[in-house]
Amino acid sequence: MSIVMIDKLTKIYGHGETAITALREISLHIEPGELVAVMGPSGCGKSTLLHLIGGLDRPTSGRVLLDGQDLAALDDNHLTEIRRRKVGFVFQFFNLIPVLTALENAALPLMLDGIKPAEAKQRAQEWLERVGLVDRLEHRPDQLSGGQQQRVAMARALSTEPALILADEPTGNLDSRAGDEIANLLRQISDQWEQTILMVTHDPRIAAYADRIVFLKDGTIVDEAHLSGDVSRSTAGVMERMEGL
Amino acid sequence: MNTQLTLALRYLRGHKTRTILTTLSIVLGVMLLFGMNGMLPAIKESFSQGVKTSISLDELTVTRLANGIFGQEQVALVRNVPGVVAATGSLSRKVILPTDMAPQDQRGQLITNLTLTGLDLDSFGEINPLSLLAGRSLQPGDRAVALINQSLAENSGLGIGDHLTLPTADGVTRLEIVGIVAGFGALSGGEPLYLPLDLAQQVLNLPAQINVIEAMVAPSEDMAIVGQRVLESLGSGYQLGAVETGSEIQAVLELGDFIFSMFGIVALVMSGFIIFITFRTVVMERRRDVGMLRALGASRRTVTGIFLFESLLQGVIGTFLGLIAGYLFISWMLAVLEPMWRERLGLSLGGAQFSLGIFILSITLGVGISVLAGLYPAVVAGRMTPMDALRPAISVERKGSTRRRAIWGIVMIAASILCLLSRNVGLASLGVILFIAGLMVLLPLLVRPVTRLIGGLLTLAFAREGNIAQGNLVRQPERAAITASVIAISLAVVLGVTGLLTTLTYGVFSYMDKSLGADFLFIPSSFALGSGNVAAGPGLISAIRQVPGVEAATTLRSSFARFGETDVMVIGVDPQTYPQVSGLEFSRGDEQLAYQAMAQGNVVLANGMLATQGKLELGDDIELLTPAGMRTYTLQGIGNDYMNSKIMTLYVSQDLLAKDFFETGDVLLMLNLADNADPVTVRADLDRLEAEYPGFTLYAAQEWKDRMVQDARTRMSITYLLVAVLALPSLIGLANTLGINVLERTREIGILRAVGATRRQVQRIIMAESLLLAAIGIAFGILAGLWLGYVMTASMALVGYDLAYFFPWSGILLAVAVGLLIAVLAALHPARQASKLQIITALQYE
Repeated sequence: MSIVMIDKLTKIYGHGETAITALREISLHIEPGELVAVMGPSGCGKSTLLHLIGGLDRPTSGRVLLDGQDLAALDDNHLTEIRRRKVGFVFQFFNLIPVLTALENAALPLMLDGIKPAEAKQRAQEWLERVGLVDRLEHRPDQLSGGQQQRVAMARALSTEPALILADEPTGNLDSRAGDEIANLLRQISDQWEQTILMVTHDPRIAAYADRIVFLKDGTIVDEAHLSGDVSRSTAGVMERMEGL
Repeated sequence: MNTQLTLALRYLRGHKTRTILTTLSIVLGVMLLFGMNGMLPAIKESFSQGVKTSISLDELTVTRLANGIFGQEQVALVRNVPGVVAATGSLSRKVILPTDMAPQDQRGQLITNLTLTGLDLDSFGEINPLSLLAGRSLQPGDRAVALINQSLAENSGLGIGDHLTLPTADGVTRLEIVGIVAGFGALSGGEPLYLPLDLAQQVLNLPAQINVIEAMVAPSEDMAIVGQRVLESLGSGYQLGAVETGSEIQAVLELGDFIFSMFGIVALVMSGFIIFITFRTVVMERRRDVGMLRALGASRRTVTGIFLFESLLQGVIGTFLGLIAGYLFISWMLAVLEPMWRERLGLSLGGAQFSLGIFILSITLGVGISVLAGLYPAVVAGRMTPMDALRPAISVERKGSTRRRAIWGIVMIAASILCLLSRNVGLASLGVILFIAGLMVLLPLLVRPVTRLIGGLLTLAFAREGNIAQGNLVRQPERAAITASVIAISLAVVLGVTGLLTTLTYGVFSYMDKSLGADFLFIPSSFALGSGNVAAGPGLISAIRQVPGVEAATTLRSSFARFGETDVMVIGVDPQTYPQVSGLEFSRGDEQLAYQAMAQGNVVLANGMLATQGKLELGDDIELLTPAGMRTYTLQGIGNDYMNSKIMTLYVSQDLLAKDFFETGDVLLMLNLADNADPVTVRADLDRLEAEYPGFTLYAAQEWKDRMVQDARTRMSITYLLVAVLALPSLIGLANTLGINVLERTREIGILRAVGATRRQVQRIIMAESLLLAAIGIAFGILAGLWLGYVMTASMALVGYDLAYFFPWSGILLAVAVGLLIAVLAALHPARQASKLQIITALQYE
């Protein structure tokens, strides 16, 4: 069964003459363990799509089924629970709590879920070790580089072992080297731990790490590409398709 | 809960300065509320160190209501009551020794308070045989001898054969100590001194008078029944039980208690307001964190809980520190006041005392107000959807809400004006609250026009930055209004209290000019005329009158009466000489006719406090319980004198005081010089008289008034300090708002820097904004403050101070100065923060 099933999803912001259609009857399936990238020009609805799948926002019409559950049917409390247990978010600006350490940030979703602090930290530490931050556990965000902060954010997203990781421009605030490292890490997460990942990016080089790329334009899916795994070759192909949009 | 607590703690620790400043505002509020309520019991206790006799199981103690005295022949009536086997009368009064007569304790402190107890030497042994430790007891035929108790002997080192000198109505008397009895006096003075009854009566100028009867009841008799018979035999106005003194002073202290409690509560409400603003700011600041937490799966309740925990933690810590600070502050205040208290009132102050009730009140208000203030912002934070929180904040002005706001604001202000016009203090007070609330509702709408108005001035000083600062304020009128409201309320309190203080000071000084308008004054040991002063007999005033150059002299005498359920001070004046030398400041009634009526019959005058609280009108018949029984007097005038303006007081002629109150001793003497008299020569003669009557101190009137003014200024400066403390929260509020403005406009500041603004210009924009906010706050604060001061002055009329309102020019200057200072101080840190931003970082900020 698909982890994500989207059926005729529409999102309109505002009313009347000022209404803006961000997504127009989109349908999409994402399979377990898949790393999917969403690409498209600015304002094409990439982030809106991500927010709707993550239960951060509600669609105007259509359905989102996440791990078999229809998000539209859930009230705020249940939606919150879904976000806590089934979704891991990675944001462009990291969004770490500035007053908590790396370990505490990574353990936060577990603690919010009522897991005892010692156990939560133990599990968070394992994920921080996996993303290569074993020596930065007690550092606060302002003591870490951008790349390191994003790794903490990824450990935080992984700590609950969610059904889906949503990454919104995860490399958008990093230099190219740190960006590559994060993209590699996403690939590794997908390959080694079979995590399903949906990533929004406008960078063809980062998108080339994905298994599949969905191209959006004016709120509709205009193209899809399945990639071979060769990043350099794929990048060139992606760039070509982007130019064609 | 663990996560919420951890996050709350971390956020508090992460913003140390803000946490300290916000918590400080709670500390200050609790400190004032708790501390002041701890000090007043010590003062009350000090006044209560009067005559208190013990009640034992087989003894009846009979006293007269209103601290009254009665003829010693009443003892015989009690002796004849069936069931009474023995009875004795005594005269027990507190006496304050002049400093040069008072023995010293081991620490070098003067022991000025003694409780003089005159014992009937023929009968006291049957009822109350004193437990003798050394020497001998008092015996029939004894004259100038006394017994002291163990603690006075130990403290002062006085022993058998030593002498004690006491002031008396005729000068002084010297007593030989013949015995030491067991027992300890009260901690704060009132050591007992036993002496023969006739000597005590002579010292106190109360011939043949006593104020306590102790009776022994036969063991077979029922105490209650015999007690009832005793009361019946004596007639009305007597009670079973000890004499309590100072209830009239207690009433004043309760008023003080109320005022100080209000001060503390106002401070706490201000701190609540500041917490509200801080948390509102914090919620805006942490929108992204809230959004992220919600995205990660934190429920609304979790988010609300984090903010509530923060306010709870601040409330608990602030209250705890406030309790400690209150204790230390008041202990310090009591230590500072102690010498002045001893010198002026002849009383010693005990330590701070805190009842369980005040602990509970302080903790409840301290923690409660903190949590309540944090509640709304916490709920707002909890209501944010993840998307709201992750998007940038946009301020949208809605037309409908603007109209509603305008209507509500205008209705509130109009209602507040009606309240003021009602001349009802309760309604006028409600009017102040309505006015401030109305102002807060209207202020967001007024920000734009007022900013434009004041902005013109600002551009004179900040030519390039003024317009940008104005624009920033106008864009966020709600936030600007809230900050300006904090400043306005702080300044309103500053101005209101200074207005009241100015009015009170000048008002009471005007009583002083009139009622102590004499050239020279003989002032007794205690300024509270009815409290422990040894009155002078007729010798002193006649000696004063004989001094060459003295044109007129008059005296005041004092006693107490019971009016309804309250003890009132009764001052005896000479209707002929009192108006010549001094006089009351009349607020109602014809002065001349009133004194004439006093001279002729059962006429009284009342001071403002009594007239107001007793709802008395001219011509009313007033029933008083006097030492001679129930008496009815007619009220012919209402006026105040300086010494008694704070105590409910009646004025009667001295003839009436002698007839119905049996008091003939003078407690205050005043004189005027003839036009051609040489003050230096007269002073020399008066100095000699002063030496003969050490219970009094001679002052030239101006000298004494200067001293009073100086005292008042000292007290005022302490109050000004408290008022300044109340202004502190607005500093925190303004700093918070400016801080968040800088944070929100990080990108804008980056753009300004990128297009060529210097660091200094960025600093000046923030400073200009701060000054603008302060100017709005000052303008409205002055309006509200004048109103508040007027209402506070008007409400003083409720307790009898009918004072004309003095326009507090100095208060306005103080408010403007404090407001501008707050603006500059509050802007310093945010301005530096803004100017230090790196352009690239600022431009990347979202």
